[in-house]
Amino acid sequence: MIDAPARFASIADFEGFARSLRSQDRTGTRSVRLCMGTGCQAKGAARLYELFEEAIESASGRGRAGNIEVKPTGCHGLCQRSPIVVVEPAGIFYQQVEEPDVAEIFRETVLGGRAVPRLLYQDPESGRKLEAAEEIPFYKVQQRIVLSQNGRIDPTKITDYIAAGGYSALVKALTSMTPEEVIAEVEVAGLRGRGGGGFPTARKWRSCRSAAGGPKYVIGNGDEGDPGAYMDRSLMEGNPHSVIEGMLIGAYAIGSEKGYIYVRNEYPLAVKYLRTAISQAQEIGLLGENILGTSFSFDIQINRGGGAFVCGESTALMASLEGRPGEPRAKYVHTVESGLWGKPTNLNNVETWANIPHIINRGGKWFAGIGTEKSKGTKVFSLVGKIANSGLVEVPMGITLRRIIYEIGGGIRDGKKFKAVQTGGPSGGCIPAEHLDARVDYEELTNLGSMMGSGGLIVMDEDTCMVNIARYFTDFLLNESCGKCTPCREGLAQMRHILQGITKGDGQAGDVEKLQALAEILSGTALCALGATAANPVLSTIRYFRDEYDAHILDRRCPAKECRGLFIYQIDAEACKGCGICLKNCPVDAITGERKAPHVIDEQKCTRCGTCWEKCPFTAVLKV
Amino acid sequence: MPTVTIDGHSVEVERGATVLDAARYAGIWIPTLCYHPALSSEASCRLCMVELDRGDWRQLVTACNYPVRHDVIVYVMSERAQQARRGVMELLLARSPDSQELKELAERMGVKGTLWPKVTESQRNCILCGLCVRVCEQIIGKSAIGFAGRGADRTVAAPFRQPSEDCIGCGACAAVCPVGTIEVRVHKDECEVEISPFKSRVKLLVCKQCGAPILSTQVCEQALRNVGWATCLPMQACSQGNVGMGRKSAHATFWPELRKRLRLCPKCRRLQTAGRVASP
Amino acid sequence: MNQDSSLIEQIVERYDRDVGMLIPMMQDLQAECGYLPTDSLRALAKRLNVPLMRLYAVATFYASFRLAPKGAHEVSLCMGTVCYLKGSAGISQAICKEFKVAPSGTTADRLFTFTAVNCVGACALAPVMVVDGKYYDGVTSESALEILQGLGPAEQAAQADAKEAAE
Ligand SMILES: Cc1cc2nc3c(=O)[nH]c(=O)nc-3n(C[C@H](O)[C@H](O)[C@H](O)COP(=O)(O)O)c2cc1C
Ligand code: SF4
Ligand code: FES
Ligand code: FES
Repeated sequence: MIDAPARFASIADFEGFARSLRSQDRTGTRSVRLCMGTGCQAKGAARLYELFEEAIESASGRGRAGNIEVKPTGCHGLCQRSPIVVVEPAGIFYQQVEEPDVAEIFRETVLGGRAVPRLLYQDPESGRKLEAAEEIPFYKVQQRIVLSQNGRIDPTKITDYIAAGGYSALVKALTSMTPEEVIAEVEVAGLRGRGGGGFPTARKWRSCRSAAGGPKYVIGNGDEGDPGAYMDRSLMEGNPHSVIEGMLIGAYAIGSEKGYIYVRNEYPLAVKYLRTAISQAQEIGLLGENILGTSFSFDIQINRGGGAFVCGESTALMASLEGRPGEPRAKYVHTVESGLWGKPTNLNNVETWANIPHIINRGGKWFAGIGTEKSKGTKVFSLVGKIANSGLVEVPMGITLRRIIYEIGGGIRDGKKFKAVQTGGPSGGCIPAEHLDARVDYEELTNLGSMMGSGGLIVMDEDTCMVNIARYFTDFLLNESCGKCTPCREGLAQMRHILQGITKGDGQAGDVEKLQALAEILSGTALCALGATAANPVLSTIRYFRDEYDAHILDRRCPAKECRGLFIYQIDAEACKGCGICLKNCPVDAITGERKAPHVIDEQKCTRCGTCWEKCPFTAVLKV
Repeated sequence: MPTVTIDGHSVEVERGATVLDAARYAGIWIPTLCYHPALSSEASCRLCMVELDRGDWRQLVTACNYPVRHDVIVYVMSERAQQARRGVMELLLARSPDSQELKELAERMGVKGTLWPKVTESQRNCILCGLCVRVCEQIIGKSAIGFAGRGADRTVAAPFRQPSEDCIGCGACAAVCPVGTIEVRVHKDECEVEISPFKSRVKLLVCKQCGAPILSTQVCEQALRNVGWATCLPMQACSQGNVGMGRKSAHATFWPELRKRLRLCPKCRRLQTAGRVASP
Repeated sequence: MNQDSSLIEQIVERYDRDVGMLIPMMQDLQAECGYLPTDSLRALAKRLNVPLMRLYAVATFYASFRLAPKGAHEVSLCMGTVCYLKGSAGISQAICKEFKVAPSGTTADRLFTFTAVNCVGACALAPVMVVDGKYYDGVTSESALEILQGLGPAEQAAQADAKEAAE
């Protein structure tokens, strides 16, 4: 499958092969890049792939194909508009492609070199049809480093990665840098962990390198448990070799021969692609004993999670790798000294790892030139929720939330009003409109009562009740708590109890203070960071949306009209056409009215089930 | 040896000892629930919180597993430490409001009661300290019980919530339980011992003389196995004086001998011995 | 029974009898059987010489393990933040009501096992429902019920499964 010697016996052999791949003459090659990320697959990309293949086949039957290839790639980012198809060499970007469109794209663009305007992205402001991805505002503001090859290379082909410059950083490290120099370069870059905490990567590596004892382990954290975040998934699916190369370089720097990548159970495709990538790397001697003929040996094994959010936490992850329930343990002795099986272990997020090859190739100084004083480089976010352009974005640190949400994300959907953006996953916080000019930076987000987290940016609009969101996250965390320590298990249960009361209309004066007291206990006494940060969603919503709590508790009213029972339904007499649909569907016969005349809801009988609101074809039922 | 200064009192301890060790050495009381000197520290109850001086800031840590690696200053009675312990205790009281043991400990800590309602289920006041689980695994070597489920659903249970086949009915779990959740019940009629609430049952060895239950047959066997192998190997003391015999046969002779002795309850054995002494 | 023990043997050998690989072994067992049969867990514990309790603890800690047989189809509804914001709680209620199934339960006719999961990583398409590995995007209560009503009857799917397994 790989057109290469079974195993490269030396670095020189590999470099020769890489050079030949990179200098291949591709003029005249036309290629159709088809996103096969989860989003596009859900929208039928696999079938599109088949159709393109068939089209190529029949064209070559007629002698017209020349050099045409269809290339399945990882996520392109603009998942909102999936499936996405890009036709090279012109780089014409098609979105929301459907099966019948394939023939036209093939005829017009692939063979004819002309765009099909119908399938292009239309700029909502100017109304212009944009041909290239780079022109689309969604992509224009981004700076793609980690994702630079996502959507360009076929993740199942190591040759694709090598042709795009892959594994050159490993070669550089092995041939011209000592392990110490590698660490120093990462230090100059100022890279900090992308998994949430933002710990300086070089410092972690150095501690692990100098820790006594062995063997030493390195781990890639691909557990990505934050709901609403899928950066790591897209990275592992779209460019698995970049993670592997990063881990190889890290292992060389730390002095490790064994690595693990822990992948979330819900990500079968990521597991598959990583497995393929690892076996291809093993095949040609980039993993295994004596890599490229050097004295450096390193191998990677994939482990799948079992559906437990807490397993993203470092000590829980290691317990899971040891075949036990994922319960965290105290970190008074750090995992870099005593981690997996009690041995020095270096854990980094997969995005952190994927940054490494770029830093080695282009230098720490270059990397440190991007971002803010303390937060360097770029960060990948999954920009989702009530936003016009949902998708995966990579932006330089220091960019404001406003630019991400409005310039890249295109603002709020359906002309609604922005209310808050939730960052940092379930232990993060909700940032309100007045702080939209905050910059994406570890410290700045923490000061706002949220955190960088692994990269979910969930946008909420006026219809989202902030108390209910706090309840949602508390619920989530209670379900995902391992239950080992008292404050997390009991404290979160108490918090949920109070929040449930508030959202049901049973709130009591003093509830907010009780929540704050529980938050204090949690942050001070919980065993692991899950419990210690679990109150963030509650605290941040109290901090910025106290009025919503008060409205629920004091006025028994939900301002966002989301909490059932804390608002009523009324029929707008002007919009009502008297069609009778609501009347027929109301389960308690609370609606009366003659046909063709405005209907009325009997507030006494109404159970606020919302059926009429859902069924009314004229949106004449209002929540008030 | 590093020095630990606790609320102004200094003690020297071995490197690697815990803050709790140091406090006990210094005669300072720190409440604990999930700690037992014979078992590994899991620090799960979070009751033993103390404040650690980090120079420019203070950190709450659990005394039972914070290792002393160099000189440290800790505060047991600082406002923040007391408040942290109180907070944890109040949550435990909400979980197991009927536990007399818990109330007594709370009182000793100066915690009057709890403002939290009961919102989590606890099996007979179980506070999930895990001592039973650890003693069964680490001392008895059986792991007949363990934690099942997670989060608020976490419970101590036997596999499949059925009587455990691995349980030897030793009752060590009941002995270490700080809130009396686990009970050893003797069913005289069936001649069985039950470890409740796990419903595990084991046959009892009964006295040949008076019929009183002596101990669980499995504990007996396990003890014999352990003791048998350990003392029989040097072989000087084997009942028949067979020195230099192979492992197996030495064991084979030792076992029945011990067995014989175990046929009587302590009382009857005493009587028998006394009788033998009286009339040789 | 014999077949069962050879399956355990295969799985254990696949991971070099490494006790650290207990979770992957149990995952493979579940992939083969659709759930974790009690007897197989016993056999696995015995084979690895680890207490049965350890396997039970693992099986009840991780949400993806099942101790009861699953239905003919597997339905997961995403309850991640984005899907929740876009109404997946209502969809879940509708499914539970229509098919009289509890979250993480199986319908009485064994048609499908229904699980609510936390984010399937396709948040741009929220709300998302996954049926036997196929992703459905932007589902509503109506469309979800429609998809589920269209599922083949239990026996058919079971036969297809058996056929697949035989091949
Ligand atoms: C409850 C909890 C869940 C976590 N989940 C993840 C995760 O899904 N992915 C991840 O990379 N880090 C996660 N982390 C952070 C890890 O513990 C760890 O800090 C990180 O993987 C270290 O890598 P980094 O330094 O490269 O960020 C989680 C932490 C906690 C407390
Ligand atoms: S804080 Fe929560 S998740 Fe962490 S150890 Fe305690 S119970 Fe487990
Ligand atoms: S005694 Fe220290 S945490 Fe329980
Ligand atoms: S929140 Fe549903 S797919 Fe992520």
